[in-house]
Amino acid sequence: MTKPPVVHSKIIVLAACLLLYPLVFSDAFYRDIGVTFLLAAISASAWNIVGGYAGQVSVGHSMFYGIGAYAPLLFYQHFGWPPIAGIPIGIASSIALAVLIGAPTFRLTGHYFSMATIAVAELIRIFTGTWEFAGAAIGLQGPAVARGWWDLTFRGELPYYYIFLGVLAILLYVTYAIEQRRFGYYLRAIKAGERAARSLGAPVRETKIKALVLSATFTSVAGSLYSIKTGFIDPESGFGILVSVQMVIIAALGGAGTLFGPLVGALILIPLQTATNTWFGGSGSGLTYILYGGIIVLIARFEPGGLFELWDRIAPARWKRSHAA
Amino acid sequence: MLLDAQNVSKAFGDFLAVSGADLSIDEGEIIGLIGPNGAGKSTFFNCLAGDATPTSGKITFAGQEVTNASPETHARLGIGRTFQVPATFEDMTVLDNVMVGAFLRHPHRNEAREHARGIVELTGLNPVAHLRARSLGTPGRKRLEIARVLATNPRLMLLDESLAGLTPTELQEAIRLVRRIHEMGITIVIVEHIMEVIMTLTRRVLVFNQGHVIASGKPEDVVRDETVITAYLGHGHQRRRGDP
Amino acid sequence: MLLLQVIVGGLLLGAIYALFSSGLTLIWGMMNFINFAHGEFVMLGMYVALLAVVWLGGGPAVFGFAAAVALFILGVVVYAGLIRHVMRGPMIAQILSTFGLALLLRYTAFFIFSANFVSLPQTSLSGTVNVGGILMPLAQLVSGVLAVALTIGLHFMLTRTAIGSKLLAVSEDRNAAMLMGIRPNRMQALAWGLSAGAGGIAGALMAISYPWSPSVGETFGLTAFVVVALGGFGSVPGALYAGLIVGLIQAVSAYWLGPIYKDIVVYALFVALLWLRPQGLMGKA
Repeated sequence: MTKPPVVHSKIIVLAACLLLYPLVFSDAFYRDIGVTFLLAAISASAWNIVGGYAGQVSVGHSMFYGIGAYAPLLFYQHFGWPPIAGIPIGIASSIALAVLIGAPTFRLTGHYFSMATIAVAELIRIFTGTWEFAGAAIGLQGPAVARGWWDLTFRGELPYYYIFLGVLAILLYVTYAIEQRRFGYYLRAIKAGERAARSLGAPVRETKIKALVLSATFTSVAGSLYSIKTGFIDPESGFGILVSVQMVIIAALGGAGTLFGPLVGALILIPLQTATNTWFGGSGSGLTYILYGGIIVLIARFEPGGLFELWDRIAPARWKRSHAA
Repeated sequence: MLLDAQNVSKAFGDFLAVSGADLSIDEGEIIGLIGPNGAGKSTFFNCLAGDATPTSGKITFAGQEVTNASPETHARLGIGRTFQVPATFEDMTVLDNVMVGAFLRHPHRNEAREHARGIVELTGLNPVAHLRARSLGTPGRKRLEIARVLATNPRLMLLDESLAGLTPTELQEAIRLVRRIHEMGITIVIVEHIMEVIMTLTRRVLVFNQGHVIASGKPEDVVRDETVITAYLGHGHQRRRGDP
Repeated sequence: MLLLQVIVGGLLLGAIYALFSSGLTLIWGMMNFINFAHGEFVMLGMYVALLAVVWLGGGPAVFGFAAAVALFILGVVVYAGLIRHVMRGPMIAQILSTFGLALLLRYTAFFIFSANFVSLPQTSLSGTVNVGGILMPLAQLVSGVLAVALTIGLHFMLTRTAIGSKLLAVSEDRNAAMLMGIRPNRMQALAWGLSAGAGGIAGALMAISYPWSPSVGETFGLTAFVVVALGGFGSVPGALYAGLIVGLIQAVSAYWLGPIYKDIVVYALFVALLWLRPQGLMGKA
């Protein structure tokens, strides 16, 4: 599946736009949206690996995000470590949790996995709210003033933007590499028909667990980036259901199971979310989630493949042929 | 002996779908499984393929016991199967479908793709290689399933009504394909209702009824067997034949 | 004595859990479909009860009936407008459909009713009774007993009546049922109506005794998962036993460990079940 030259040039244009964006739009407001967009794109792309490609719909992915978000601040708060040191610990814990959940539930039908993800995420959220060591309901804070560059406490948005962009680029590259390899084919086969995939020798359970582990890793990193940048975390912003929902809706809107779907979804939803929050003020967040719920239902009902699928269906055949392989 | 199924029974709760079925297949044979609907042949077939675990009995393949083995293990050992209702990967292209099969023996993409291309050519799917499986009709899907399984380099291929619902021309083509596969040295077991397929392709036939194997032998002998005719047509037929 | 009271209270609440969970298990058993919005059906039942009291006056019989009917209709509408279309599609569509619906219902309720906790005005079922030395609110006693009766009634309806066997026929084998002249679509719509209706009545029963806000839907939804997992997916009798057990465990945990642990224990039980016995106490995997 070699990509024809016309797609390569699109990627270059995209990369250029992303690189230049904060330099062109240098106002703090725009840079902040940019950083939020990148973070959302990273989380959704991470979810995409197991939810989009493999079709194992996690609706509690915040559990990995939250672990990744708490780890850096926990180790800063209690041991004075630079928050960045908590990132690998967050990853390791998330991987352990992923295996713990995946191993039993992937033996059963897809519904069990989805239910388990909600239950575990809620369990962790409530528990963290009672755990003094993690700040209970109040949460944890990061360094207010940087002790050195390693604390990653920048005053402006710009350094964060490029760090996040780098992580996104790595994640997208990893996803692309998976798409090309046997692992990626098996993921798609599992989504398309587990029974048939099994009959062809695909190690279904193993593959699903690997996908979940990979997804959990990057989701954890996204959480870490969030708490390091924000300098704050609490049970709701780490493990809340809305964290999980946002990942799912962004990936599903753009196109779950496609490489750039989550990016497209984030491109649409983050500005939209910022706008509704600004327009409606305090009640804005309520309306935003009504909107999210509605969008998810519409996607499920009419176009589960998201915008990419929609484009595939309605784009005039002539345009497609002239751009096809 | 390539496959040896001994005294295989499969019960679903109180219902005994298969009871004491035996089947021994030598490498290179081409066997038919026939019988009325609900006779247990599909369940038996699923046991051979690893999709169902026998309640009792033993199945051995190439010397290894596979009675309780998973479908993945079956595939790796060299047993491949198609599905009665085609289970192609709808959103993937025909070539990608076959590649999933090819990846079993060829872990690297380029080799898998080469191998898959060869299979696509062999099975006459070249014209639709880059179309999504969902745009194929049922005959296309059935052929795709055969190609996909073939790509796993099976020693034994279990075809579950893979030739049903075809026009006469398509049927002839499919029969030719199965024959070509057989000539490649692959042992084949076919579940079928179409007599022409059984008569022209198979050398040995097993007849199921109500969970038991009621007859086995050469196709031309089996179709003339009294018990087989009664099983299909009912006792009324038998009574008529006895009338003066 | 106090412990005994806690136990009885837990069982009575558990009976209501059993009632709404039986709706969830009915859908699972029939269609292999998990309704992530089921908790919201219960929550809406509570608000319908409130609105019925405010608009129509009347006691538990009135608002209970109103909740049942309103949610029955909602269940059928949800089936016809959404579920029917995603049922046979990809898993992601199935799961997202009711998950999105849950969000939609929950946040619409937040928008309309605000996040404040509300409760029903005093009903004719006020006051406490003394049963064998145990004091309990009359409302809780009546609700609990009624919930058990309704759950058993649902089970009898499914297993002993003609319409029940039609429902079961569709769940066994859709195509065979069609050949017998049963219309699967109608039966499935009916099942969704019953499921939501059960949730609605359960909500109304709970509203008599407990305050609530739109946030309770999420908790009830998860509770229903636990009950259904414990009782066995598809088994209404299982939901009855499991509901009582969950109510009991919850009450005793709150008593011994503190009220915060009320939910933690239930979710932890669910997670433990997934590992150890996914098919529950009585059901098939």
